[in-house]
Amino acid sequence: MDKQKGYWNPIVAGVVLGIALWGSFMIAGQGMGASGAFARATAQLTYLYDSAFATNAYASGYLKHGDALANWTVIQVLGIFLGGYISAAFAGRIKQSIDRGEDYPVFMRLFWAFMGGIIIAIATRLARGCTSGQALDGAATFSVGAWIFMLAAFGSGFFFSMFFKKQWKNVN
Amino acid sequence: MENLYPLYTTGAMSGNENYLYALVIGLVFGFILERAGFGTSNHIAPVFYFRNLRVSQVMVSAILTAATLITGSVYMGILDFNQLFIPTTYVWPYVAGGLLFGLGMVMSGWCPGTAAVGFATGKLDAAVFLAGVMVGMSIYFDQFDKIADFANSSNIGRYTIDKLVGGDIYTSLIITILLGAGLSIFMNIMKSINDKKGVYNEGFICSSRLSIDDKCYNTSVSII
Repeated sequence: MDKQKGYWNPIVAGVVLGIALWGSFMIAGQGMGASGAFARATAQLTYLYDSAFATNAYASGYLKHGDALANWTVIQVLGIFLGGYISAAFAGRIKQSIDRGEDYPVFMRLFWAFMGGIIIAIATRLARGCTSGQALDGAATFSVGAWIFMLAAFGSGFFFSMFFKKQWKNVN
Repeated sequence: MENLYPLYTTGAMSGNENYLYALVIGLVFGFILERAGFGTSNHIAPVFYFRNLRVSQVMVSAILTAATLITGSVYMGILDFNQLFIPTTYVWPYVAGGLLFGLGMVMSGWCPGTAAVGFATGKLDAAVFLAGVMVGMSIYFDQFDKIADFANSSNIGRYTIDKLVGGDIYTSLIITILLGAGLSIFMNIMKSINDKKGVYNEGFICSSRLSIDDKCYNTSVSII
């Protein structure tokens, strides 16, 4: 059924992603990233609003050259937005929706999406990356930390899944 | 040509070329993530219920493919492994970060990379998630001085598997393959247990071959 909808077999998609990841390491010396770009975008926006933010203990490193967005990962994430759009456009999948389990209230779905975003942002700063920049890149380059992060994240997801059963009811 | 790669760090490619390349590789990543089905949270969250293993299957096969190709490139003497960017390992902050990340992922159905794809394809829950991410970043920046000691604790540096267990990059590759296989086997066992439970406990059977728009079959054989 996935095939009819134009999705790739997960194993095939993973192998293709792995080849792209290798290509990224071969050329740039680094792999895929995502959370760092959102951290930098937040820092840049805050700085535009309040220039005193340039001395912030965490974000000062981003802003020392004056522009937090002049960064490889930021440009690469712009590519992710574009690539995702192009793929979905070709497959006829550009569609406004709020995906959730059967009968789950929209407001609650958006509330949890927002809260989850806050929690994930803090998580990525502690873990120096997310599923991309920490788990995938790190594990592909044999970093022990990547497996520490991945096993903790999966374990925690399995544990807390019991509290979100309704949100994902019959979603597959 | 010894150690020509990575092209950027060995100086074979300029900074501007590397920025252009970042856009191209990002495009490729985004395209693949969307084709893998990660443009919707409905394809991500079910992994935590062992209903659909798409997330772990893509992750494990991507890791094993990239790790094998990287090792092969080192073996051929064209890639300088020491020039690859590997995040520094901070043991306890990574444990804490991982635990929070898993909670955030099952709560929101997204992670930052997939949400970028979801946002680009019209998912409002991805847009709201990314707004939450930016608020979370602000909170972290604001409160950083209070947790900086913890965040920077237990730093063991650029720590690869062969440093932990001895051996070389080939040892690391073998252990990575074992870890990937172990995770896959665990996920498949849990899924087969869950598939059975689906029939007997809830009256529903949701085959992994069904996609989000298909209703799960009500088997009508549920016990009471």
